[in-house]
Amino acid sequence: MQCAVLSSCKKPQKFTDYSFDYFDTVTTIVGFEKSEEEFNKRCESIKQRLEKYHKLYTIYTRYENLNNLCVVNGTTNAAHQEVKVDKEIIELLEFSKQMYEKTNGKVNVAMGSVLSIWHKYREEGMNDPANASLPEMQDLISAAAHTDIEKLIINREKSTVFLADGEMKLDVGAIAKGYAAEQVADWLEEKGVTGYLLNIGGNVKIVGKRPDGEKWTVGIENPDTENSQEPYIELLSLDSKALVTSGSYQRFYTVNGKNYHHIIDPATLQPSEYLLSVSVLCEDSGMADAFSTALFCMNYEDGKRLISESDGIEAMWILKDGTKLYSENFKKYCK
Amino acid sequence: MENTNKKTLRNDIILIGAIILIALIGFFVFLITRKDGQKVNVLVGGEVVYSFSLEDTVEQQILTGENNQNKNVLVIENGEASIKSATCPDKICVSHRKISKSGETIVCLPNKVVVEIE
Repeated sequence: MQCAVLSSCKKPQKFTDYSFDYFDTVTTIVGFEKSEEEFNKRCESIKQRLEKYHKLYTIYTRYENLNNLCVVNGTTNAAHQEVKVDKEIIELLEFSKQMYEKTNGKVNVAMGSVLSIWHKYREEGMNDPANASLPEMQDLISAAAHTDIEKLIINREKSTVFLADGEMKLDVGAIAKGYAAEQVADWLEEKGVTGYLLNIGGNVKIVGKRPDGEKWTVGIENPDTENSQEPYIELLSLDSKALVTSGSYQRFYTVNGKNYHHIIDPATLQPSEYLLSVSVLCEDSGMADAFSTALFCMNYEDGKRLISESDGIEAMWILKDGTKLYSENFKKYCK
Repeated sequence: MENTNKKTLRNDIILIGAIILIALIGFFVFLITRKDGQKVNVLVGGEVVYSFSLEDTVEQQILTGENNQNKNVLVIENGEASIKSATCPDKICVSHRKISKSGETIVCLPNKVVVEIE
């Protein structure tokens, strides 16, 4: 927030900015600049970009003269049409198809029809906890018949997107935050900016080394808030890379005393129950986002196999009993 | 002559002792300031609306929303900050553990409130 030294500080100081306007979460920008003015200026240009990605990738709101994913999803009961979109949407959806392949289908942006049912019940359940209820399995199964990612037709030359299944809907919630963070980081790096950290709702992306020579310390919150006093389950020391944690301890609602969180396993169509949390560390923030969701939707053994087949991705799993397990090189980054 | 030398020596020892002591204090202060925060900032929609010392004992209502219909109650005691109660639907901020280390935050997403340790 403030400069630690009064008035004219010559050495770059650390500043922080919080905003609530993008991707339905809190975005934290931390950066080293010589003055608060310079930091604010940089933040504004970062936030302009985040706003652009937010408006393009949201499935909940339409904007005038903007063909975003809400437009691609179409209006209820209306046949889908080929929609001309910006290259930022084409690139996100192509990346999403790659992630589908790499995660063996555990991350599927064509699962919007299923996720929208859970979203509706969760919103209602959070606003009116006494009457919170669960979706009918039959409704989820019917919706799951319309989640074939092959029916997402991308035409790069014409820059169009078409959903070939009339009842299919896109939901990029498992990828968009990390992908957007990566794009903004790439843009900052092109401009030669270093000493910044972006955190979009737990999707942490580091942009360059700190000017004070220290590494960034990033804490992974302890998912066990009831029995443990330890605020962090692990502290990482990083000077590059992206870190994303998927867990069941945020964004949930309660039915009959049981918590139902927001990460839905495509195999069961229910909130995934394998782990307490999983953290993924790799260079690309979009990939970290996708893989943390994928790993959260499989048991440790399957996840470990997936990680060993993937280059440059490390993970830490917290099992339901609190056991911490690491991929081969994750511990190298722990403090 | 000998006396002066002894005195000088004693003064030197005191001086060295003092330097070591100052160095030790400096070391501890360094460690402490690296870990524990000093201030609690409350931000609404990204703007600082309250700022307290972490040493104060405080109970502060944070009202937000168009008609101030949303409320989070911040408590600072024994060098730790927490949210005692809130009107938000998910209560994640209330169940969040107490914070005291520099850089730690409690976020209430529905009410757009950030409590930050500086």
